[in-house]
Amino acid sequence: MTLQECYAKLEGDYAAVSSRLPSEKFIQKYVLKFAEDKTMELLEEAWQNGNFDEAFRAAHTIKGMCQNLSFARLEKSSSALTESLRGGKSPKAEELLGQVREDYALTADTIKEYKAGL
Amino acid sequence: MSDLKEKGTKEKKDRGPVRFLIFSFVSLTLVTLAAFTALAHYLNARSSDTISQVGEVYMKNLSQQISMHFETTIDLRLDQVQTIVNDVRPAFERENTGREQVLEELAASSKARGFVQLGLMSYDGELEMIYGDPLQITDPEPFIRSLTEGESKVAVGTNPKENDKNMVLLGVPSDYLMKDGTACLALVATVDTEYIADTLSMEADDSLVYAFIIRGDGSFVIRTSGAFRESYFDRVRNIYEDVDGMTGEQYIEEISGAIQRGEDYSTEFTMEGERRRVFGTPLPSSEWYLLTFMPYGVVNSIIDHLGETLLLAAMVCCMVIFMALGVVFFLYRRISLRQLADTEEAREAAENALTLAVDARREAEKAQSKAEQATKAKSEFLSNMSHDIRTPMNAIVGMTAIATANIDNTEQVQSCLHKITTSSRHLLGLINDVLDMSKIESGKMTLAYDRVSLRELMESIVSIVQPQVKSKRQKFGVSILDISSENVLTDSVRLNQVLLNLLSNAVKFTPEEGEIQISMKEEPSPKGEGFVRVLISVQDSGIGMSPEFMKHLFDSFAREDNARVHRTEGTGLGMAITKYIVDAMGGDMKVDSKQGEGTKFSLALDMEIADAPEVDMVLPPWNMLVVDDDKALCESTVKALTSIGVSADWTLSGESAISMVEEHHKRREDYHIILLDWKLPGLDGIGTARELRRRLGDSDIPILIISAYDWSDIEKEAKAAGINGFISKPLFKSTLFYGLRGYAGVDDIKPDVPKDDGRESFAFEGTRILVAEDNELNWEIASELLSEFGLELEWAENGRLCVDMIAKSEPGTYKAVLMDIRMPVMNGFEATEAIRKLGRTDSNMPIIAMTADAFSEDVQKCMEAGMNAHVAKPIDVREVCRLLKKYLSMQ
Repeated sequence: MTLQECYAKLEGDYAAVSSRLPSEKFIQKYVLKFAEDKTMELLEEAWQNGNFDEAFRAAHTIKGMCQNLSFARLEKSSSALTESLRGGKSPKAEELLGQVREDYALTADTIKEYKAGL
Repeated sequence: MSDLKEKGTKEKKDRGPVRFLIFSFVSLTLVTLAAFTALAHYLNARSSDTISQVGEVYMKNLSQQISMHFETTIDLRLDQVQTIVNDVRPAFERENTGREQVLEELAASSKARGFVQLGLMSYDGELEMIYGDPLQITDPEPFIRSLTEGESKVAVGTNPKENDKNMVLLGVPSDYLMKDGTACLALVATVDTEYIADTLSMEADDSLVYAFIIRGDGSFVIRTSGAFRESYFDRVRNIYEDVDGMTGEQYIEEISGAIQRGEDYSTEFTMEGERRRVFGTPLPSSEWYLLTFMPYGVVNSIIDHLGETLLLAAMVCCMVIFMALGVVFFLYRRISLRQLADTEEAREAAENALTLAVDARREAEKAQSKAEQATKAKSEFLSNMSHDIRTPMNAIVGMTAIATANIDNTEQVQSCLHKITTSSRHLLGLINDVLDMSKIESGKMTLAYDRVSLRELMESIVSIVQPQVKSKRQKFGVSILDISSENVLTDSVRLNQVLLNLLSNAVKFTPEEGEIQISMKEEPSPKGEGFVRVLISVQDSGIGMSPEFMKHLFDSFAREDNARVHRTEGTGLGMAITKYIVDAMGGDMKVDSKQGEGTKFSLALDMEIADAPEVDMVLPPWNMLVVDDDKALCESTVKALTSIGVSADWTLSGESAISMVEEHHKRREDYHIILLDWKLPGLDGIGTARELRRRLGDSDIPILIISAYDWSDIEKEAKAAGINGFISKPLFKSTLFYGLRGYAGVDDIKPDVPKDDGRESFAFEGTRILVAEDNELNWEIASELLSEFGLELEWAENGRLCVDMIAKSEPGTYKAVLMDIRMPVMNGFEATEAIRKLGRTDSNMPIIAMTADAFSEDVQKCMEAGMNAHVAKPIDVREVCRLLKKYLSMQ
């Protein structure tokens, strides 16, 4: 699996990231790092504890990472979740979190698959 | 026209009811008149009948009364005569009494009772007078007959001695002795007929009624005034005009019959033009018939008067009714007129209301069409945007794919990357426009004033526009005149945006080989001494604009929609943004344009003069020559040179320049430096330089090209022609200073000439920067990207750590902070405020926000928290570098 294929599978925007970041190697390095990032766990934990302020920041961070790496799909759902948590918990947040979980799993699994193929 | 017509028909309509009313009124009048006339006639007839009836009844009674009165009178007289007869017994019944004595006693008694004459009547009707004149009995037969039968009777006789005067004879049967010794039939006494008439009041002065007494043959017994004939019947025949539709003879016949039958008779007749009633009744104790007459004249006149009064009353009633009708008519007319007027008013009101309604609807339609237009503009904008964004996007995606496929072909990859860069820039521009517009529309766009060098501003603009101008082979002129203050306070980013927009539009809408001219000029500002008015104009010889379009030039999303500009991309927001920025700067923007001839935008901005940097710009007292076909530019340049200690001549063409240089050379007063415009009419800059080198031989006078064009394009040719160097227009004082000082043997620092590819070079070697970012991955990316430019980056995981690191460091350790906003423990806003409050010498270090939330309120909050600038995530390394360079240079 190439990096482009990896991006295609996790529904990222390879053209965008490659125009912004200097090299494929550079991108690859941070894509692999993304899989090790613990922010999603932080988000889940904050949600469990009912700490929606913390959950908001975690979602925001995920969104920021996705923007950096142009993970368009996860960026979209995490961005929506961020907005729904900006003023505390909103009725839609639960559903949006579900979407983020799904997209995050897809992203993380794809990266793991890509890593395994290196 | 239609008004008149309408009025006409209205009058016609008006006349209809009026005519009807008049007709009704006249008809009513006629009917009323007829009715009243008929009524009057009827009443008259009725009154005639009534008079006739009343007359009959009245006359009957009157006749009976007269008749009774006559009877009483006659009876009284007869009784008197009877008394005489009873008192004076005849001689044969008495003793010792002679006839003579009896006659004496009779005469005495008779005279005592007032009888005119007294006589004895024999059975054969012979009358033997006792006293008085002898008499002729007019109709003795019935008289004798009655007396013979023992009845008392009256009759009429005449006195021949007294002109046949009528006398009434009263006979009472008796048996006195006549002269001849025979017994008489009756004692006869007489009275004057006048006495009877008087007694009966048959001719009273105060009475209308008069009466006749006639015999059966019509002869008068007693006649009153006017009746001179002997017979009533003759009278009838002669003077009666009409007797109730009968002839006189018929009447006479009828009345004769009635007399013979002893019946009452009544009828009406006309005599002497007067209607009269006659009533006949038989008189007792006689053969006589009483006729009583009553003329209707007075009654008639009374009745007529009554009739007249009635008629008059009717007329008055009529008049009253007419007047009432008239009043009603008038009132009705007035009411109907008022109603008409009311109707008219109501109609007008309705029309007004209708007009209002129509206006309102038109307004509503206008508003709706405005709203629709706005919606249409928005959707057009969206579809344009969609197209405009897709175009560079497609290029980027496509070029990326091509580059990926040809990753080993460096040349092709480079070409792709170049195109990608261009497209990305364009895309970024579009997005910036949209963001700017949304900022403007939400009122969030604010200007950040700081010190700006007009020279740098113009240089950077020219360098950005150059490639575009070059690719379209357009003539590009930059003219800088009378710049007294190079450093002003303004928002350089926004001013840059304005000028770039105007210039890029000029390039866009000017065909190949067209002309584009940007000029800048300063003049005193009306705002005062600390200000300067900067006049900037951008002129092109492009397609121009239609007057219609110019009206909407500054509207959002406006883009002239015709085939000529269809392939030209853009958001249509550029001019709206430009206008807004100029307005926000308190400036004025004018546009002159003619289709097919070109467009000229003129800006006038009052700017505060910034403190000039303490740079001593003095050059050796050279004598220079400036050659340019723009006289104003020559003069301005000479002025600028004079202000930095250089005297200069100027000329407008290459030919004259050559002769001037030669002249000076001969006088051994060579110019120290020659500035040559590249594009000159006739002999151009390079040609002139070549000629000068040829003529001057081994002279090493520096010849420099001044041009707004890119030096690299002509460098080779220019160097070959013997040109030493290049100064890019615009020619500010500092441009000249920095461009020329190399030839004065001072520090050989070249002015910043922007590089060909438009990339600014950033040199931050050894500059230490703190990056506050909670996410490791994001930090690493930023760190790796930015360290390329020589920056030394340190990481703070949150706001608190960031503040602590600065607090613990030596002042000046960190030159700037890149601050994430959303961080645990302490967010970017709080951290910034804390850093600003540290009270250190470097507390005012540049802090640049990095946030994923490109919302304008976040930007506003960043500024409020004390940050200097803001970049959106994912970070654009060049943008970060540009901002860092800007703020670091200000420190």
